[in-house]
Amino acid sequence: MGRSLKRWFPVFVLPLSLAFLIAFVIPFLFGIYLSFTRFTTVGDASFVGLSNYVTALTKDENFLRALWFTVKFTVVSVISVNVIAFLFALILTRGIRGTNLFRTVFFMPNLIGGIVLGYIWQLIINGVLLRFGVDITYDATYGFWGLVVLMNWQMIGYMMIIYIAGLQNIPPEMQEVAAIDGAGPLQILRHVTLPLVSSSITICTFLTLTNSFKLFDQNYALTGGAPGRESSMLALDIFDTFYGAVGSEGVGQAKAVLFFLIVAAIALVQLRISRKREVDV
Amino acid sequence: MKTKLFLPLLLFSVLCVFTGCKGNKDEIYYLNFKPEVASVYDEIATAYKKETGVNLRVATAASGTYEQTLKSEIGKTDAPTIFQINGPQGYAAWKDYCADLSDTDIYKHLSDPSLALRTEDGVYGIPYVVEGYGIIYNEEITDKYLALKNRATDISSMEDIKSFATLKAVVEDMTRHKSELGISGVFAATSLKSGEDWRWQTHLANIPIHYELTEDGKGLTTIPDTADFRYANEYKQLFDLYVNNSTVDKKLLGSKEVADSMAEFALGKCAMVQNGNWAYGQISGIDGNVVKADKVKMLPLYTGHDGEERQGICIGTENYLAINSKASPEQQKAAADFLYWLYSSDTGKEFVTNKLQFIAPFDTFEKEDRPKDPLGSEVYRWQEKENVQNLPWTFTVFPGQNFKKDFGAALLQYVQGTKTWSQVVDTFKNRWAEES
Amino acid sequence: MKRRAANLLFFILMCVLAVIFVLPILIVLFNSFKGQFFIASAPFRLPTVDTFAGIRNYVAGIEKIGFFSALGYSFFITVTSVFLLVLLSAMTAWFLVRVKNRYTSALYYTFVFSMIVPFQMVMYTMSRMANLLGLENPVGIVVLYLGFGAGLSVFLFSGFVRSIPIAIEEAAQIDGCNPLTMFFRVIFPLLRPSAITVAVLNAMWIWNDYLLPYLVIGTRYKTLPVAVQYLQGGYGSRDMGALMAMLVLSILPIILFYALAQKYIIRGVVAGAVKG
Repeated sequence: MGRSLKRWFPVFVLPLSLAFLIAFVIPFLFGIYLSFTRFTTVGDASFVGLSNYVTALTKDENFLRALWFTVKFTVVSVISVNVIAFLFALILTRGIRGTNLFRTVFFMPNLIGGIVLGYIWQLIINGVLLRFGVDITYDATYGFWGLVVLMNWQMIGYMMIIYIAGLQNIPPEMQEVAAIDGAGPLQILRHVTLPLVSSSITICTFLTLTNSFKLFDQNYALTGGAPGRESSMLALDIFDTFYGAVGSEGVGQAKAVLFFLIVAAIALVQLRISRKREVDV
Repeated sequence: MKTKLFLPLLLFSVLCVFTGCKGNKDEIYYLNFKPEVASVYDEIATAYKKETGVNLRVATAASGTYEQTLKSEIGKTDAPTIFQINGPQGYAAWKDYCADLSDTDIYKHLSDPSLALRTEDGVYGIPYVVEGYGIIYNEEITDKYLALKNRATDISSMEDIKSFATLKAVVEDMTRHKSELGISGVFAATSLKSGEDWRWQTHLANIPIHYELTEDGKGLTTIPDTADFRYANEYKQLFDLYVNNSTVDKKLLGSKEVADSMAEFALGKCAMVQNGNWAYGQISGIDGNVVKADKVKMLPLYTGHDGEERQGICIGTENYLAINSKASPEQQKAAADFLYWLYSSDTGKEFVTNKLQFIAPFDTFEKEDRPKDPLGSEVYRWQEKENVQNLPWTFTVFPGQNFKKDFGAALLQYVQGTKTWSQVVDTFKNRWAEES
Repeated sequence: MKRRAANLLFFILMCVLAVIFVLPILIVLFNSFKGQFFIASAPFRLPTVDTFAGIRNYVAGIEKIGFFSALGYSFFITVTSVFLLVLLSAMTAWFLVRVKNRYTSALYYTFVFSMIVPFQMVMYTMSRMANLLGLENPVGIVVLYLGFGAGLSVFLFSGFVRSIPIAIEEAAQIDGCNPLTMFFRVIFPLLRPSAITVAVLNAMWIWNDYLLPYLVIGTRYKTLPVAVQYLQGGYGSRDMGALMAMLVLSILPIILFYALAQKYIIRGVVAGAVKG
């Protein structure tokens, strides 16, 4: 097949590859180049070495603050989303009535876009905070927990159905055997169930991890970074640096490259863990 | 092999043809700053097309995103031909794109050429609307106050308020009598939600910074590297007066929007609100509006500055039109022709006066071409007062968006008690120095 | 017996949680029928005779943001992009798996690599590129979605292609199929389940995407998320009522679609996650 197929490259691969070249490859390479320059439009870039990176990491306090905010947010969301989703999945694999309906309802928020989600929760969170006489822009802590709540609402259903799929793959006999051997429910969970869904756990952890880390729309609509820029996450900070003021485009691009490096590092760790697991099994 | 190339190439070229058809090259592209009149510009485009056959495309940026949008649009091949800059600050940012307008008809008809944005080399921005702001009050309520027998002040009309001290005495006395006056507070909510705080971080700050810069002999052409915020305490006096005599509790101000404040005013829940003549449409457009058109008046922003008895309202503009110098000469000319048409032809003037309700600073506008809305008339009244010095819009030399955003956020934190006043002043000074 | 009691308890718990999950949407729904100044000040209060606004918010919102044209653009862009992405990335993936050489594997790894690059990295340069090539319209933006969505789609399809036994293809080849007919007659039908996965994942992303359409076509063609964001006030005139109404209207198509294609969506998402 290979040889006769090879001649068909223009039909099978070229169209997508051209689009890929236009929308990704060239912008990516050019983006790296621009991060070392000062520019306001692509045409007037002048080389400035590492100074954009230096500015991003030292002079501009927003980047590191956004990084720290993002890291905190990611840790809290990953843990809460996964623990809750796993509990939901456990309950919904017991064969209780209405399982399908529950699954449908819990998954639904995942389909709604970030901008819309942001406004929905802005209304609700401000409504609750109204009783305490403040609103979500009062303090970045409110924005932080607002985002966590929003993220949980959005992601729990998604992670839950992955856990359900994982749980359904466990042969029921294994738990029965363990039960006959005198293991309590918690022991079964700890020694039988959890190890058998560990691949689902890895998947879900990384899905929530990258989704939380790259969050933009929700952040943009819910707090817009308020108060000031204190509740800006990395993606929003980069956007603000690019489009908020003239003259800081190079710094914005340098921030974007740093952001990319962090995300790439997370992906590499994920790859190593799943590789290792494949070897172990 | 060659024949196999055919299909994808065809596909791709079809795609390119499809996507390659862009806007007409002769088209004028105007990136409008004022979302509240976006639909009027659509009508203007239709009318202009009908009269001259020239295509005008108007896009409007969402509130607070004009600079973002302009930034992403201006580098494009069919970039805006006409865009707006907000003064020296905007000019500094966009000077590479601002064409010299000194030879245009529209410039020649400016009633006061000094209003234009100029450098030694030429004219780069034409003000297209003059606006005035101050404290808007509902005379029906203040009349009710003046009729009170047990009031603590001795003014005989609102015109007697000529200083902060008098204003404070009146406002505080009105607060004491608020149930008799049927209001829930004297001032409408001090909207401090992010993006809704421009009345404080620019308009109110105009007063102390104006006095500071005049004292230092600095003009309105460049952004000073630093500002002392020397009269911060005067700012604080009036700001505190707003917050302490408000319809709502301090802590809620972070969620208030300008629309909330204007609704409170329109519904008669308060007697005063700081805003400008552009807000009249908003007041009258609110369902259940109880404010009578002939009872809407305007008062200067008194902060307790020396000699403020002769201070008027703030009249100026932050809306300058610029023509994109990177556009083709034909497009630039077409743009200049359109602007002249809009501000000189009968059709155009009709739109400007009655639909846009702009106080247009051009000599093509006669007295009868003036907008007839009550707040527009108030601006004219102040403009024509003798012995009164109206203040210009000094805030056009304030540094960029981030400075304003951070100053606004600091004000909110001050109101909510998480920042002290001196921290607010520090934020103001530091962010100014960093951003300018 | 004990298990049944426990299950009843869990059933009740799930019911409560389900209500909590739906509540935010219900709150937005009933607020969309209240006058605009009664929303932010009392979001949890149901409309009363005084605060009821009928469908006024809907009328205002639809007019303000041009709802139907936004819906049309969103629909067109999503459907076209998803259709082309599924087709073209299946073709590409099949080719890259079956033709093994240095170039194809380099290309494959570039596709995979693009999956980990966040959008902000190419945000500025991509929108410049789009401008240069005249892609700033609903048709052109499809090219960008093809390019930026290619990575994940090719990666997912490649995984599925590898599981197709080569013997099937050899048999078809003996029957005299050329690669194109073979692909459409034999391979693509086998890839159907994965095509659903690719379609669902991309549709969810493209339909809800904000930044790319905002930067590239935002001033001329507003997609739904861009249009909703546009309600974020115009110099002090944010209309909460219209905002609520438009939130409801932008959720509605999603819920309808979900109700119709729930099975495929959930299956697609699970398969996508497990393979990815």
